Amino acid sequence: MTPDIVETVNVAREIAWLPWAVQYFFLIGLSYGAWLVSLPGLVFRRPGWEGISRLALLAALVCGLTAPVALLADLHQPGRFWHFYAYFTPTSWMSWGAFFIPVYLTGLILYAWLAFRPALARHAEEGGKLAGLARRLAYGGHESRKALVAAALLTFVGAALVALYTGVEVMLVRARPLWHTPLLPVQFFVTAVAGGLGLALVFNRALPGGGDPAATRRMAIGLALTQLVALLVGVVWLALGMSGMSPEHAQALAQVAPSANWKVSAVWAVLATVATLALAVWRPGSGLLIGLLALHSAWMMRWTIFIGGQEVPKTGAGYYSYQLPLGPEGLMGIVGTAGLWIFLFVVLTTLLPLDRIGQAQPARG
Amino acid sequence: MKDQEPREVSASRRAFLRGIPVLTAAAAALPAPALAAHGKHHWAMLVDVRKCIGCQACTVACIQENAVPEGSFRTIVSTYSVKLADGDQPAGTYMLPRLCNHCDEPPCIPVCPVGATFKREDGIVAVDGDRCVGCAYCVQACPYDARFINHATNKADKCTFCAHRVDAGLLPACVETCVGGARIFGDLNDSQGELRRRLDAAKAEVKVLKPEQGTEPRVFYIGLDERFQGKVEGQGTLWQPRKAHG
Ligand code: SF4
Ligand code: SF4
Repeated sequence: MTPDIVETVNVAREIAWLPWAVQYFFLIGLSYGAWLVSLPGLVFRRPGWEGISRLALLAALVCGLTAPVALLADLHQPGRFWHFYAYFTPTSWMSWGAFFIPVYLTGLILYAWLAFRPALARHAEEGGKLAGLARRLAYGGHESRKALVAAALLTFVGAALVALYTGVEVMLVRARPLWHTPLLPVQFFVTAVAGGLGLALVFNRALPGGGDPAATRRMAIGLALTQLVALLVGVVWLALGMSGMSPEHAQALAQVAPSANWKVSAVWAVLATVATLALAVWRPGSGLLIGLLALHSAWMMRWTIFIGGQEVPKTGAGYYSYQLPLGPEGLMGIVGTAGLWIFLFVVLTTLLPLDRIGQAQPARG
Repeated sequence: MKDQEPREVSASRRAFLRGIPVLTAAAAALPAPALAAHGKHHWAMLVDVRKCIGCQACTVACIQENAVPEGSFRTIVSTYSVKLADGDQPAGTYMLPRLCNHCDEPPCIPVCPVGATFKREDGIVAVDGDRCVGCAYCVQACPYDARFINHATNKADKCTFCAHRVDAGLLPACVETCVGGARIFGDLNDSQGELRRRLDAAKAEVKVLKPEQGTEPRVFYIGLDERFQGKVEGQGTLWQPRKAHG
């Protein structure tokens, strides 16, 4: 069927939030998601959680330190980042975000330091790699519960603000119906927690002996829950859109429904979530696989929302088609953040090897 | 040849220019910045779609005037081939000049994290290039795809209503060059002005793009077909400037 209207001349607007932005939202989400997993073992002292919670904290730290670099690189004027602090604009959630990120990171670094101090001291005592640096960083290696809880509180405030602003900032963009749905922040949050659990599972699997099976199972239950919630939110989203009950959702659905690419993405997302859920329930021991699946879903979701969302013209007909450029505005953004992530991971695990972090340790005075 | 110049254009130009000596004299007496200072003016544009011949002279004039980099556009005449049910021909052409609407409720302004995007007292929505960090949040927030990141400056870019020309008492380059006389620029506050008179005369026919967004655009259209008022449903263009020019 020939369409009634064919656009013959128009401008195709380029993607303005680049793959760097996807990386930022992915990593910062993983960071606060994983940080939440650090709480049962380190703050609430739930039996059996200590090792996995420490691994989750390492995940939160590596991702949290990488994320701001990706964010900075997404600016077309990265050298002007100080303008965020010189020209605070209270009407802009992005402006607030510039203040929330440091709160979260300060809390996170402090909390991680307090949590890892005893292990750093032990690493130094036992003459591990970079023992001198580990000793200096351990700064006595005392365990201070009160300080840890205080740092956790600060991190919690930062994490909540970061989770809130990253969701709302995108949700408020009324010009993009796909972003402008009240469920978007929830979807970001759920997939972030799932990704955080996923990364902790992957770290757990990397331990000698494949990690603690009991911990793996516990995490699998957590992951299954997130997938269930993700599916429920998806169903609500679709129901709101199809029933026309929420004009926002109906508009978002109408914009993407005709596109074959979008159909593939939607089916893919549902299948990946169902597969993760099924495996987590019936094969809770498959920690690595479900962990990777959860990470993949968290990334795909953000890629689809950000890059796919920008492929929908606001006034023009049809869709813009995006091809990932190979340079810094495309593939290099993804490779670059991955490289930085690996570098930080290597540095941190040299200072404090994974198996030392993953060990359940008796509390020291 | 001169006599055959489209009437409306010369009329609108004359009307605009007639006011200039007074304005510039007043401007000279005041400390700068002259025209914009007191919210005396409220600049706006009326596009009479029926008169647009789709020649893209405005597109080219804008690029020349504002040094818009290759592949980017501050204004363009979107052109559509439309199936005709009741004509001798199978299809007709529909032209729709697009530009920044200089909205009175512009969603691009509150999102800017550094206050680089602002509305001048004369209604022109502008970007402070010294402050812009190129975060592109405004690009996302504009419902009209009017903004883009300029690859030469790495800052947000869009139509300025040729503020530099308007401040000097000239018309925007696109209006100056419009072959069909489809673009009329003027002051909404000037009840005797060409723009106001045309708007008042065409009242019921005057429309804006995406009125439901509540942006209060200050680019008005006469002859705007409903099918083109929001996102156009149809087959997208295959031509992509970046791809075409590498
Ligand atoms: S058209 Fe877009 S860029 Fe122009 S004022 Fe309105 S929202 Fe801002
Ligand atoms: S790109 Fe520039 S003008 Fe636009 S929101 Fe960011 S800082 Fe403001």
